[in-house]
Amino acid sequence: MKLGPLLLALAVTAVPTLSLAQSGAATDEQILLSQLMTDKKAVYAKNLDLTGSEAEKFWPIYDEYEVKVKKLDDRFLSNLNTFAEKYDSLSDPDAAAVLKEKMAIEKERMALKQEYTKKVAKALPPKKALRYAQLETRIENMVRRDVYSLIPLAN
Amino acid sequence: MKPLLLAFAAFAALGAADVTLAQTSSLRSDTELLISQIQSDKRAVVLAAMDLSDQEVAAFTPIYDEYQREMKDVYQRGTEVMNKFAANYDSMTDDAAKAITKDFFEVRDDRYDLTEKYAKKLGKVLPASDVLRWVQVENKLNALLDYEAASMVPLAPKK
Repeated sequence: MKLGPLLLALAVTAVPTLSLAQSGAATDEQILLSQLMTDKKAVYAKNLDLTGSEAEKFWPIYDEYEVKVKKLDDRFLSNLNTFAEKYDSLSDPDAAAVLKEKMAIEKERMALKQEYTKKVAKALPPKKALRYAQLETRIENMVRRDVYSLIPLAN
Repeated sequence: MKPLLLAFAAFAALGAADVTLAQTSSLRSDTELLISQIQSDKRAVVLAAMDLSDQEVAAFTPIYDEYQREMKDVYQRGTEVMNKFAANYDSMTDDAAKAITKDFFEVRDDRYDLTEKYAKKLGKVLPASDVLRWVQVENKLNALLDYEAASMVPLAPKK
């Protein structure tokens, strides 16, 4: 399996889907995805409607979370590269190692999201914290749906 | 709150396959068609994607059916969380918002734990590449269904 096309495909998912938003047929989710890729921070700002004091407490937590999530994203991509490089002759130990890392990343991602939702809940009113968790979940769902559809199943 | 009813159907269908999203919305794309197939017969969709030998199917299906039975309970709890969200939506208290957030994460954790538990069980009867393939299939199906379900649930009120 050639690695280039897969990475290119993943990179394409990060490009704003402006054509969808401009076609008039875009769903709310597609518009949200387009907005997200253009400026994820602006999506949160728009949807959380933070007061000055809330913003002061929220944004440092948000930035810290994004730095940590980026590390998990990098690990996800590295594991995916390993999978792609070995795809045509994937041995059982290779498959087991890819699966172990995939599950570990998933577990850490869930734990991180919960840890930071708790931090957000200390900084914002509970309804806004719930709204934050919903937004994060929606964004995650959109990215997963698109990225997973590009990854071939193991042989 | 009408939109939420659709989301309940999507969640319920994951475990029970008794109420399907396909019955409440028109099918306009391959993705929507696939979602409809997952909801009406997820077992068949998974078996087709797994592409196993007869011997492997014999080893896989009893464990998979057990997984589906346990997962049905997890999705039932997911439906209850969404019901709680809908029931409280118009006058959401801080306590209700806290409880819903906590319950939501618990359901997601349990879903992960169950997948991990059954990946280990399958690892005893199938090659590791098949187990990886099964986890990939589950992830792909969940990604489609999660996206559909979440997109039908409104965000919590700001105030």
